[in-house]
Amino acid sequence: MAISLGESLHIGFADIWTRKVRSIVTIIGIILGVMSIMVVLAIVNGMNKSTMDWMQARGGLNKIEVERNWQYDFSKGGKAEFTLKEIDYIKSKIPEAVAINPKVSEFGLELARGEQTFQAQVQGVVPDMTVVDEWDVGKGRFIKDMDVRQFNDVVVLGSRVASTLFGSRNPLGQQVLLKGQISAGGPGGASGMQTLKTQTLTVIGVMQEKKMKAQGGQSAFGDNPLEYMNRRAFIPLSTMIWKVNPALAITSLELRAKDPTSAVALRKKTENIVLNLKHGKRLFQIVSAQEQMQQMKQSSMIFTAIFILIAVISLLVGGIVIMNIMLASIKERTREIGVRLAIGARRRDIFLQFLVQTVMITGLGGVFGIALGFSILNMVGKYLDIQVAASLQMIWVALLVSVGVGLIFGIMPAVRASNLDPVIALREE
Amino acid sequence: MDVIRINGMIKDYNLGKVKVRALCGVDLIIRQGEFVAIMGPSGSGKSTLMHIIGCLDRPSEGSYFLDEQLVSELPKSELSQIRNKKIGFVFQSFNLLPHLNIQKNVELPLMYAGMPMRRRKQKATEILDSVGLLDRLKHKPSELSGGQRQRVAIARAIVNDPSILLADEPTGNLDSQAGGDILEIFERLHKAGNTVIMVTHDAAVAKRADRVIHIMDGQITNGNLAG
Ligand SMILES: Nc1ncnc2c1ncn2[C@@H]1O[C@H](COP(=O)(O)OP(=O)(O)O)[C@@H](O)[C@H]1O
Ligand SMILES: [Mg+2]
Repeated sequence: MAISLGESLHIGFADIWTRKVRSIVTIIGIILGVMSIMVVLAIVNGMNKSTMDWMQARGGLNKIEVERNWQYDFSKGGKAEFTLKEIDYIKSKIPEAVAINPKVSEFGLELARGEQTFQAQVQGVVPDMTVVDEWDVGKGRFIKDMDVRQFNDVVVLGSRVASTLFGSRNPLGQQVLLKGQISAGGPGGASGMQTLKTQTLTVIGVMQEKKMKAQGGQSAFGDNPLEYMNRRAFIPLSTMIWKVNPALAITSLELRAKDPTSAVALRKKTENIVLNLKHGKRLFQIVSAQEQMQQMKQSSMIFTAIFILIAVISLLVGGIVIMNIMLASIKERTREIGVRLAIGARRRDIFLQFLVQTVMITGLGGVFGIALGFSILNMVGKYLDIQVAASLQMIWVALLVSVGVGLIFGIMPAVRASNLDPVIALREE
Repeated sequence: MDVIRINGMIKDYNLGKVKVRALCGVDLIIRQGEFVAIMGPSGSGKSTLMHIIGCLDRPSEGSYFLDEQLVSELPKSELSQIRNKKIGFVFQSFNLLPHLNIQKNVELPLMYAGMPMRRRKQKATEILDSVGLLDRLKHKPSELSGGQRQRVAIARAIVNDPSILLADEPTGNLDSQAGGDILEIFERLHKAGNTVIMVTHDAAVAKRADRVIHIMDGQITNGNLAG
């Protein structure tokens, strides 16, 4: 009859308690290793999560964006622009796209109501925008096909624009004036500006407010990195091109795929269509949120791998330290082992006693490491203002790792202890 | 009944190239309930013999029957159980575990025998009471005198009701007063029916034994039953 695991735990605890200081010193390596695993995993998780939040806020992983390719040398000719005919052609080639939003932006305009003005980014869009960006009105209605067909003088305001111009009053059905400078054509509006003939627009809707918590400090607009979206105003694409600024062309296109997986295929297909349309010139770059996300995950994985490697090395060093301390301790306790063997302990009992003790020490290191990790994460979250995502799963990983280190590095000392010859062990002074 | 039957036992120690023959052809029979004293000069092989009788070591040659069981052929893994169930060993240098209180020290053989915690606490307490240490249960060995420590060691040796009680110079580290107390305990145990084998240098001690066996240079010269 061998002694139970419970007895071994009991002996182990008593042994650790008698040698408190040594036990603590022994596990410093383990504490640090476990702690760094915790911290790194939580930070990487947090980064991934906030990237994901950001992507989600901007339309999710189904979204594909076609934009001016800044790497292209435009002196070789070509403009990063689409005509409405080209847009129709692209549309006809990709029926699998759930929604398509060609988009035109003006930056030099302001919206005015009486004395109040607001420097808004005015975009000419189509109804599909709400689908592509997963962003709808909070009040009133969005631009409809009818508005585009009839060149209606209507506007949907971003929440900040609305609150600045109207305060707490209801903006729906009210009129605002659109005025300011418009670009006079040429690539990127390079040929100068001219003054817009003031237009009167009727407010038909106000967008939902876009909001998320800032990461790593303040963004340009305070603590909401999505605030720039609340500073937009939307008018029908046709109104923008025909009434506001005929010099404007469609410079970007947003698509929505059925799901994130098909988004990759749709991105490739669209790339080819656009490339053919522009006679092989790479005037546009086309990115899918899904692939961006994957890329980001990949680079965070490399980051994780490096830190996990460091953690593993410190755990290995910690394990070797523990092994040596246990070996020294066994040498010191040779006589005790001899006595235990003499009164009926089996080799298995001695083996278990020392293995359990090592595992308890490293497990304890794991617990301290987790506690330390959490307090560090707490501080990181508070002072560096970055999102950390600690999970229950991480605690299990950390515990498992520390117990694993104990098992691996405890075996050798335990074998050595259990192989002692009782007669020789008893002779030891 | 013969508790111990040893035939042609040889024990060699290998010291690198040299071989030391600690026991050279020992034949020995010890009966149930005997009190046997073993005497002999230092280095004559007394401890070696005791270790083999106590199943801490195995003979190089020869046979050893303990309670009719041929233990000299048993693998080391089974010897530990024999030690636990049939042998009680008392050493010259007490060999208590310094970090454990004396109650826990006495509990150890019961723990390795698989007895539940509560019962073994109770049994250890009873045994310590019988050697007069009831008021010292929670004391560490270092807080006791030599004589008291040896009484704890005896309590530990008998707590699991062994077939034989082995004592290798149990009074060697004690003054005559304490040594006398220890001997009294052994006599009491013997009278209660226990088989006691004791190594001693003291002829006065040996006189109290049923039989004295003399060892010289690894051989029994005198006192054997088998003749
Ligand atoms: N582990 C050992 N290795 C080598 N020689 C040993 C060992 N144990 C005992 N001896 C030798 O065996 C002989 C008998 O020793 P021991 O049995 O301890 O004698 P005693 O107890 O009678 O003094 C001595 O010569 C001793 O040196
Ligand atoms: Mg000796």
